[in-house]
Amino acid sequence: MRRLLVIGGSLAGAFGAIVWFLLLISTSADTAIFERHYPVLIGMNILIALALLGLVGWQLRLLWLEHRAQIFGSRLKLRLMAMFGLMAVFPGALVYGVSVQFVTRSIESWFDVRVEKALEAGLDLGRTSLDSLLADLSTKGKNMALELSSVPENGRRTALIRLREQNSVQTASLFSAGGQLLASANADLSDLMPRLPSPAQLKQARSARQLSWVDSDGKKMILRVLVPVSGFGVFEEPRILQLTQLVPEALGANAEAVQAVYRDYQELQLARTGLTRIYALTLTLTLLVALFGAFALAFIMARRLSAPLSILAEGTRAVAQGDFSPRQAVYSRDELGILTQSFNRMTAQLEEARLETERHRAEVESARAYLESILANLSAGVLVFDRQFFLRTVNEGALNILGDNFEGLIGEEIQKWPRQSVLGQFIAEHFAMLEDTEWQGQLELDCPNGMPQILLLRGSRLPETSGGGDVVVFDDMTRIVAAQRSAAWGEVARRLAHEIKNPLTPIQLSAERLQHKLADKLTNSDADMLKRGTQTIINQVRAMKHMVDDFRDYARLPAPELAPLDINALIHEVLGLYETSEAEIETTLAGDLPPIIGDATQLRQVIHNLLRNSEDAMEGRENPRIEISTEQRGRMVRLLMVDNGPGFPPELLARVFEPYITTKAKGTGLGLPIVKKIIDEHHGTITINNAQPGGAEIDIRLPLHKEE
Amino acid sequence: MAAEVEVSSPQLIAADEGYAVSADFQFELSSRLEEAVMRGVVLTFLIDFELVNKRWYWLDEKLLSRQMSLRLYYHALTRQYRVASGGGLHQSFPTLNEALRVVSRLRSWQVIEKASDFPQIKSGEGYRGALRFKLDVTLLPKPFQISAVGSRDWHLASDWKTWNVNLPAPESK
Repeated sequence: MRRLLVIGGSLAGAFGAIVWFLLLISTSADTAIFERHYPVLIGMNILIALALLGLVGWQLRLLWLEHRAQIFGSRLKLRLMAMFGLMAVFPGALVYGVSVQFVTRSIESWFDVRVEKALEAGLDLGRTSLDSLLADLSTKGKNMALELSSVPENGRRTALIRLREQNSVQTASLFSAGGQLLASANADLSDLMPRLPSPAQLKQARSARQLSWVDSDGKKMILRVLVPVSGFGVFEEPRILQLTQLVPEALGANAEAVQAVYRDYQELQLARTGLTRIYALTLTLTLLVALFGAFALAFIMARRLSAPLSILAEGTRAVAQGDFSPRQAVYSRDELGILTQSFNRMTAQLEEARLETERHRAEVESARAYLESILANLSAGVLVFDRQFFLRTVNEGALNILGDNFEGLIGEEIQKWPRQSVLGQFIAEHFAMLEDTEWQGQLELDCPNGMPQILLLRGSRLPETSGGGDVVVFDDMTRIVAAQRSAAWGEVARRLAHEIKNPLTPIQLSAERLQHKLADKLTNSDADMLKRGTQTIINQVRAMKHMVDDFRDYARLPAPELAPLDINALIHEVLGLYETSEAEIETTLAGDLPPIIGDATQLRQVIHNLLRNSEDAMEGRENPRIEISTEQRGRMVRLLMVDNGPGFPPELLARVFEPYITTKAKGTGLGLPIVKKIIDEHHGTITINNAQPGGAEIDIRLPLHKEE
Repeated sequence: MAAEVEVSSPQLIAADEGYAVSADFQFELSSRLEEAVMRGVVLTFLIDFELVNKRWYWLDEKLLSRQMSLRLYYHALTRQYRVASGGGLHQSFPTLNEALRVVSRLRSWQVIEKASDFPQIKSGEGYRGALRFKLDVTLLPKPFQISAVGSRDWHLASDWKTWNVNLPAPESK
């Protein structure tokens, strides 16, 4: 659209230039075509000037709109256009003014009184010459008429010929008063018919006694004289003599030339204002067309000049908004072209750099994410400190092991930790004492109402190159230690059982034999003592055997046969045996519990052991009470058993699962270790705590059966 | 714009095997034009004649179109006013009024030389004749043309004068 308009404008301009050129030619040259179409040419020029004015107006409006919209570069465009326009206006106006003055003055200078006088004099000269010729001819005519009047009618013809010869007149002819040709004499034999006078002329000649005038046949001037000839007799009608004489050719031509110039001069003088107007109009139109053309051109040039700037501005804005796409390049060899090209190069480099940074960042990010995922999935706890021992990073493992979300600890100095102060103190001390790059230590953390946690900590100093700081990695050793203990105890129990059981039988047999052989040989009191003594030995040996069997059982607990199992049904089955119990047993069993995976026999023993423990603990206490509940917790089933007995002594709490730890007078201390062992082999967990205000709380988690 | 020239008593008559037009034009030269003639400017008058067959069912049919030009100028050497027609004939008059009288009286303008050359023009038919008289401004010298644009002083023209013609039979030899 804009391009079309520009093309149309230039076409119109070219056309205007041509028409204007024609106008100039026609003003100065005398060509018939231009002369005929002069007003049309003027009109077309006015139209072109108006069209150009419209074009300039439209351009100015465009510029103004751009300026109003604050489009970048519009001000520059406006200024450029104004500058170009002024450059056209001043010289144009100057040339115009000088030209108009010049033309007006020179037209004025054509008209000179002397020239006019000279021309008039020339014309008068011609007239006088003609007049004198005419006077001469009319004198001749009068003489001839006088002579003819004395000649009778029949002799006039010859007289006429003679008189013509005598007076050397070109033609002489005689007419009747009615204009009828009576006689004629001609010097030129080829032209026999004389010119006929009109009736009015005849009449005038008769009344004025003479009539003379200059006639013309288009090319040559002819002198004509009419003279009346009085009749020979009284009764004869008067006749009229006509003499014609060609004006000498040279005189005629000269006179005609003078009269032509005189006419032209007169015409010019009459047209003086019109002529001035023509030149002024032509010049004005020229000025207007040139000016408007210059303005239109200035607009195009300003646009062309400012185009690269607009592209640059647009590009800058785009770059500021993060768009690095290349701009339209201006292929010109001047500085502006170089500027836009360098700008494009710069944006390309920026884009490259940005991509590079992005890639780099993504790499770092992924590496970090990788490390973080490793850290998070690490079962060991990891604590990272900066140089001032402010905690920077804690991984998921640490949170799990310590059972703390570490809120408020991250970013806090280790010495000022509100919680976990034991751990913090431990770590701080070890780092303070550190000589090498690494340390290792074991820490036992007391739990308010549970087993103490055993942590194995390893601290190391991070290299200075990576910013320094310290990292602590720790593992929960509680289970491992417990397992080690339990394994050790198993071994001890097996050996003890083996080593102790062997001598027990001979001891029992020996005691029995002693009593058997000596009972009859001893007196009453001695026999009584023997009997008591051997009986004691036998009883104690039996008890010892029983104990050894227990140890053996613990050590040789068979592997569980895992199968889907309804834990609620199992609980009900076991509780059947405790219907006569002194304690009140209350169950809260979840209704739609999915089956767990386990060994029914072993789990029955677990429940049995725990119930008996509770009963034993609450013996002799008022309102003994046991609560059993089950519920689903994720992929596990939780079995909670709470009593209102005395609970566990705190000092024992940490080691209740170790064999031979018991509060009962006649317990082997193997009940809970067996429970623990069974639960472990079922891949479950068991936690023992003291409930508030009193009593024990046992929390067992068993995995659900996985349905294929 | 009111016409400066009145065309009166136009007629088309049979003459010399053909037809001729006669009419009178009433006009006065403006002082500007008179001055121009006095100063030697040639005035060219155009007389246009058209013969039209009026048709009610279709556009009118133009049967004939004729133009005659008359030139009026002042011959300063002989102090005469001259009227020249296109054919090269010219008449001289001592006064402008006499010359104008000749110009304003159109007599026997032979618009059709021989009626037999125009078979489409039939005698006895009713046609419409149209006559116009005007000063040809385009033939004036350039400076006057510029002045003539939009100036009444330089404008001299009649409207088309139309009249119904009942074509008489041509005279036969």
